[in-house]
Amino acid sequence: MTFFQLMRRNAWRKRLRATLLMFSVGVAFLIYALTASFLGGSQGAAGASDNLLGVFNKSGRGLPLPLAYLNRIAADADVAAVAYTARMRGFVEVEKNIVMTSAVDPRAIAAANGDELGLTPDLIAALEEGRDRVLVGKALAEAQGWSVGQRIGVTSQLMRADGSRDWRFVISGIFEGVNASTDTYFMLARYDTINEARARDKDTVDTFVVRPREGVSSGVLAARIDALFTNSAAQTRTQSEKQFLEGFLRQFADVGLIVGLVVGAAFVTILMITVNTMLFAVRERSFEIGVMKVLGFSQGRIMTLVLGETLFIFAAGGAAGLFLAKLATQLIGPEFGLVFSLSVLSKSLAIIAGLGLLTGLLPAWNAMRLPIVNAFRSR
Amino acid sequence: MNDKQEPYIALRGVQKAFRIGAETIPIFSGLDLSIARGDFVAVMGPSGSGKSTLLNMLGGLDSPDAGEIRIGRSHLEQMGEGARAAWRAHGMGIVFQFYNLLPMLNASENIELPLLLKPLGRKERRARVETVMDLVGLAGRQRQFPSSMSGGQQQRVGIARAIVGDPDLLLCDEPTGDLDRKSANDILEMLGFLNRELQKTIIMVTHDPEAAAFARRTLHLNKGEFVEQQGRGQ
Repeated sequence: MTFFQLMRRNAWRKRLRATLLMFSVGVAFLIYALTASFLGGSQGAAGASDNLLGVFNKSGRGLPLPLAYLNRIAADADVAAVAYTARMRGFVEVEKNIVMTSAVDPRAIAAANGDELGLTPDLIAALEEGRDRVLVGKALAEAQGWSVGQRIGVTSQLMRADGSRDWRFVISGIFEGVNASTDTYFMLARYDTINEARARDKDTVDTFVVRPREGVSSGVLAARIDALFTNSAAQTRTQSEKQFLEGFLRQFADVGLIVGLVVGAAFVTILMITVNTMLFAVRERSFEIGVMKVLGFSQGRIMTLVLGETLFIFAAGGAAGLFLAKLATQLIGPEFGLVFSLSVLSKSLAIIAGLGLLTGLLPAWNAMRLPIVNAFRSR
Repeated sequence: MNDKQEPYIALRGVQKAFRIGAETIPIFSGLDLSIARGDFVAVMGPSGSGKSTLLNMLGGLDSPDAGEIRIGRSHLEQMGEGARAAWRAHGMGIVFQFYNLLPMLNASENIELPLLLKPLGRKERRARVETVMDLVGLAGRQRQFPSSMSGGQQQRVGIARAIVGDPDLLLCDEPTGDLDRKSANDILEMLGFLNRELQKTIIMVTHDPEAAAFARRTLHLNKGEFVEQQGRGQ
């Protein structure tokens, strides 16, 4: 037998109680990990960069900007690369199966945003092979069951010059994103194709994507770009990619606050249940704690033993909750914005350790301070 | 005991009183006691005479209000809680009336418990547990849990747990108080063996004169003072 086994035996002595406690802890961490995964992964906000700038129309994100702004932005010495995108919202087969298409210049997008999206030279070359080619993000391809070489049709709000709303493409490659939290639930089409075929808003874009030179403050550059177009018909608002995505999410609700409140309530409840249960458990065992003290177990060891028990319950319950959350994020898929990242895992582990120790503190303190003679009277 | 030889256990001028509300109930007012190494002493006396309080102080479970308690070279009255815990882990073993085994541990794990406090490897701990289980006649019952053992068997586990760390001193609090006569005699024979063959110093609190007869000498405690009698059985 080891000290750890002794601790585990103590925790397991009332199996139903321990199991129920672990279940509660597991549910709390399932909620936490799912909400944190949603926060981290929703619309790629976690993978979004603070250094990549987006230039939008100040009057509204849906409004276009002239393509002619490109040269004025590119002329700034602190701009390393600039690309432009025109977004096309549409659906595949049924209206609720929505897909987003970004019309881009292949080389420009590779230079400005290629690293984050995982756009290799081969993929860019494949996109340039034909005017009807598209690159599909991994998450979108998996969700739709698409593969390279497949012909696909998208019905878009964007009308073609011939009055049709049907756009036909050939998938020439799949991009994966630099990591799991990168948003890949969209596809990249060629701007020249879309621009030539669309009925209106020709030679306009929705966004300019700007990569500042290394060491340049993105905030300062953003202000300077906006200043360029202060007196233009279409003024700009320049934000980092992260600011943009967070602002976009905030249009619906303050997701972070809601998640914080839900998770906070779950954790406070679990904290109270566990502290209460452990206090009872320690009180029930006062006599045995007295026996262990008689055998020579120091106050420190008794404290470690009780703290270890709560840690064990939190570790087992928390691990089960995190495992289920990981499973859920894999089954549901990233199109719902759930990404169980390393950051979610490490934060969860820190909370498991913190709450495990916190909940054990009061019962452990009581056990540690219990005088032997009083413990023996408790029988 | 040789008067010129320093006693193994020495109590000098020990005072102890309990306070219940505003009332103070004196138990000892200047108790003296000397016990030689290797002695087997039974302590008898009526209820409330201070037998358990004496045992608690000898085991470092309770402190005297005044006076000196020395065991070997250790002055218990000068020790803090941590030092007394360390002393209990290494210097003495205790046998309880109701065995006080931990119910979620089997026999060998109960016996191994005090060894977790010693710097011993798992193999050595296991070897020591096997040795003492053989010694107390519990070979083959390693995996049995206390709930499935008789009172006599549980007390053997209790004794094995008390001696597994090889302490010089054994304190026994009514070790046969919960056993039938035959089991009680077996346990007392075992204590006698530990005293004779392994030179353990034993102090046993008991109400039972037949149990006291197994000791080398009997001390009667009355109103906080000792009256010595010669043991009969050794």
